[in-house]
Amino acid sequence: MAAQAEKLVQKAEELHHSRGELEIQSRMLQSVLDSMAEGLVVADERGKFIIWNPAASQILGLGSANIPSNEWAQHYGLYTEDMVTPFPVDQSPLANAIRGKSTSAQIFVRNSNRDQGIWIEASGGPLKDKSGTVRGGVIAFRDITRRKADECEIRKLNDELEMRVTQRTVQLEAANQELEAFTYTVSHDLRAPLRHIGGFSRMLIEDFGPGMPPEACHHLRRIEDGVRRMGLLIDELLNLARLGRHALEIQSAELNSLIDEVVALLQPDAEGRAVTWKIADLSPAQCDPVLIKQVFQNLIANALKFTRPRECAIIEIGDLQQEGERVLFVRDNGVGFNMKYKDKLFGVFQRLHRNEDFEGTGIGLATVQLIIRKHGGRVWAESEVDKGTTFWFTLADAGQSVDADADPKIFTNKHASAGA
Amino acid sequence: MDSDVIDILLVDDSQDDVDLTLHALRAESLANHVFVARDGEEALDFLFCTGPHRQRSFEHPPKLVLLDLKLPKVDGMQVLQQIKSDPRTKTIPVVLMTSSREERDMAKGYNLGANSYLQKPVDFEQFRKMVKLLGLYWLVTNQPPITTRSSPQGSVEE
Repeated sequence: MAAQAEKLVQKAEELHHSRGELEIQSRMLQSVLDSMAEGLVVADERGKFIIWNPAASQILGLGSANIPSNEWAQHYGLYTEDMVTPFPVDQSPLANAIRGKSTSAQIFVRNSNRDQGIWIEASGGPLKDKSGTVRGGVIAFRDITRRKADECEIRKLNDELEMRVTQRTVQLEAANQELEAFTYTVSHDLRAPLRHIGGFSRMLIEDFGPGMPPEACHHLRRIEDGVRRMGLLIDELLNLARLGRHALEIQSAELNSLIDEVVALLQPDAEGRAVTWKIADLSPAQCDPVLIKQVFQNLIANALKFTRPRECAIIEIGDLQQEGERVLFVRDNGVGFNMKYKDKLFGVFQRLHRNEDFEGTGIGLATVQLIIRKHGGRVWAESEVDKGTTFWFTLADAGQSVDADADPKIFTNKHASAGA
Repeated sequence: MDSDVIDILLVDDSQDDVDLTLHALRAESLANHVFVARDGEEALDFLFCTGPHRQRSFEHPPKLVLLDLKLPKVDGMQVLQQIKSDPRTKTIPVVLMTSSREERDMAKGYNLGANSYLQKPVDFEQFRKMVKLLGLYWLVTNQPPITTRSSPQGSVEE
């Protein structure tokens, strides 16, 4: 008996103890619910609210109300994404939760206390007892009005951007077409009268030359020279324009074979002259070989041209690493130019020498620059009057392909020539 | 000029170009049987024996048409297209001779059936050389197509 009584007392104490624990837990839960920034609502299986935290009232503008679940949307002012259709209550996350489903939704809320309307994001899940039977549902939600506004703003900006890009593209296409029409006109309409001037001058010389004073014939030849020169200018200008439209075909190119082809091509310019070529062994480069050959051709032709007064021309082609970047160069010991004119160097029709001294159209270096820029590289020059000129250029994609260590010849070659 | 016996139909709107071309042809004695049309319409009238040329006969097509592309009224491409799409004229060799070197024009011209595409060089010496080669090739070296009509050939030549 006594033992039983003792057991009873123990039980009572345990009960008392666990009631205390329960109270502590319940108070903890309450303070968690009170301090949460998110709204939290729990409803039982019939849709009666059993927990409704302060944040819930604060967000919705209304407190817990004892109303049937089919009146929730009307009472709290819940709407779908279009902001006007009442939110179908049976699809709300809380209703889903009571039916045992976990869902989430964005809901627009507008009621007497939230007349501007707010956006909430709510996610709900079922509450189950030990046996797994659904006893109700819980939803947590927060105010996402600000986020929605930002998203809306971003979408608007994106749309605007898209529109502007479309507009610019149209403008660009129009400009391109204009340019094409322009080059066509230049090609056809400027060329024709030029042909006539040249043709009739020639006919004059041939048909009437014998009876003309020698000075008149001389003037006519000057006209013909002018015609030829302008024809050349038009052709090169057109080439430049075509180049601008040419799409790059990047591949691994053997620079040395390109250079060899160019040197062979320019052999007539070196004929009868003492020209020392110092061409380094160059590793392949990622580039459009047709265009880069053009670059070498223009630079080497320049080197040959401007070394003409030299008893022995020295033309050096190589590369080196500068700040992790491969830099190619073409160097000569020619007449050079004053560096204060370096900005004019790459301009179309810009020339730093008189035509009587060194002939040219002033398009060669403009072409070089256009090609290098298309490759994403840079081109620049260093020069000293009477000492010579070095043209440097980079190719954006070719940075990694040079390997000085693997080919010490490049270095020795460079050193040898640097002293020359 | 008897327009029935024509070696070359020269279609060009520029009197300057016509004079230069004739001068070059004359140097090779190829200018005796040339008819000059100054626009596309006149060229088509001549080739299809219509309008002012309705008296002409299809039996004596020119051995060569030298066609400029930029022409008033009917442009060169349209003239070319009409020549090459009509069984009565499509075998006549047509050489496009133009100032421009536009790739589009070139491709279009060949697609329409042009027999050759030449850019008139600015340099007159080169132009003359080109016209000479052209004339000699098409009028002397080349074997012209036999006319589809069964009428006797060669009898009209004086």
